[in-house]
Amino acid sequence: MRGKAELFLIFISVLPFLSLSFSAESPKERRVLVLLDDLAIKSSHSLFFDSLKSRRFLLHFRLADDPEISLRRYGQHLYDALILFCPSVQRFGGSIDVAAIADFVDSGHDLIIAADNNASDFIREIATECGVDFDEDPVAMVIDHTSYAVSDTEGDHTLLASDNIIESDVILGSKKIEAPVLFKGIGHSLNPSNNLVVKVLSASPSAYSANPKSKLANPPTITGSAISLVSIVQARNNARVLITGSLIMFSNRFFRSGVQKAGNSTKHERSGNEQFFTELGKWVFHERGHLKAVNIRHHKVGVTDEPAMYRISDDLEYSVEIYEWSGTSEPYVADDVQVQFYMMSPYVLKTLSTNQKGLYSTAFKVPDVYGVFQFKVEYHRLGYTTLSLSKQIPVRPYRHNEYERFIPAAYPYYGAALSMMAGFFIFTAVHLHNK
Amino acid sequence: MVRSTGNDAQALFHALRSAYAATPTNLKIIDLFVGFAVCTALIQVAYMAIVGSFPFNSFLSGVLSCIGTAVLAVCLRIQVNKENKEFKDLAPERAFADFVLCNLVLHLVIMNFLG
Repeated sequence: MRGKAELFLIFISVLPFLSLSFSAESPKERRVLVLLDDLAIKSSHSLFFDSLKSRRFLLHFRLADDPEISLRRYGQHLYDALILFCPSVQRFGGSIDVAAIADFVDSGHDLIIAADNNASDFIREIATECGVDFDEDPVAMVIDHTSYAVSDTEGDHTLLASDNIIESDVILGSKKIEAPVLFKGIGHSLNPSNNLVVKVLSASPSAYSANPKSKLANPPTITGSAISLVSIVQARNNARVLITGSLIMFSNRFFRSGVQKAGNSTKHERSGNEQFFTELGKWVFHERGHLKAVNIRHHKVGVTDEPAMYRISDDLEYSVEIYEWSGTSEPYVADDVQVQFYMMSPYVLKTLSTNQKGLYSTAFKVPDVYGVFQFKVEYHRLGYTTLSLSKQIPVRPYRHNEYERFIPAAYPYYGAALSMMAGFFIFTAVHLHNK
Repeated sequence: MVRSTGNDAQALFHALRSAYAATPTNLKIIDLFVGFAVCTALIQVAYMAIVGSFPFNSFLSGVLSCIGTAVLAVCLRIQVNKENKEFKDLAPERAFADFVLCNLVLHLVIMNFLG
């Protein structure tokens, strides 16, 4: 009995420490499920995985056809992110399928998909769900006869050294990637009407997607800069997906290899792959470019409380605080955040001015229209989470006693009527006194 | 021909002036009042033409007060004029009392409609 009581006391005393691990502000370790075709990838791509582990990610490696893997249990997701390094898997083991992965992304979790030249239909289908279409030809690879990496062994120009990298400090960090990025695998194309996908690394205009081992029978389906080598998708719920057609880009061999682009005499000691994927990995897992808007307030000028209703031609102030998450909450500084006073169309559109500490505010006059308006902030910038803030507020017209008592434009008429009365009065006096 | 028409106009004007000079003073006072009212009305119409008819009720009220007063003054003049055979039996005091009461009603209405 006494032993049980002691055990119970110890258990109770440990509970407060357990609750600390769920604090929302301090970054907790995030669990990532990594599905592989072959456990050798764990060691052949160890540099990439180590960079994730050093940033406090708990990686769970599993074979893709392991029958016990699942993303959900009892309605809760077991992992915070998913990495699919299993291009040739035909069917996942366990309870994962295309719908489960789509549901995983729909609930706001991040995903990395790497295919390669023996990509199965399954992986292609998952990529299509995310908005990216791999080349349908199963044996096609991206070939480029002018932008290939000079190497001693492979002469078929499928090893590309690409430096068509998107320019974005948010996605790829502020340090420029000097060396070209090595790529060997299948290319994909993006639907031009899809505005959620972005080409991070695109092929040069002379690239095309075809079978390297046979002569070209038909014109290639995707060519030139339309071929994307690495793409990112930021979904409307701000889940981020990274898709690439080359699993070997992540390998230690490519990270460490030197690179020399054809036609260029500079030989780089190390390819840009490691920096490229470290920075891109930070972006995909929301360590950069993740915005949070808090404290949306609006009030009449001079009053601190938020009113339930405004009147037309009121002066009001609107303010919002925007922070960027990069390890800690830093104030986000930009000069292009705008607020709309919106009812079917924006009646007022103002750029918010910032105090450089994350507070954005502006003041304007309510328009001369009554109805139910919304304060809308629609902030879509490349690489940043979308901010769609909206706060509804009604606007009423003047009450009957809020109009001006005397209309200045009508003063002549007032004067005329009064002068008529005065004239009548004087006239009666004169008329009566006149005999 | 032109000079003779010019002379005719002048002669007519002079005739009118001398005939008017013969009217009694109290009628001249009433005429003066009517002239004042009509002028005020014209000024208001000119103002409305420039600025627009925004408080239209005020405009109507102002113009109507002028015109109404002019009309009532003209009625008074007709009734008080001794040369007018139609109102020979009407006492001028009665005419004046009517004038005053009508004006009171007129101005009451004007003040309400002025806004």
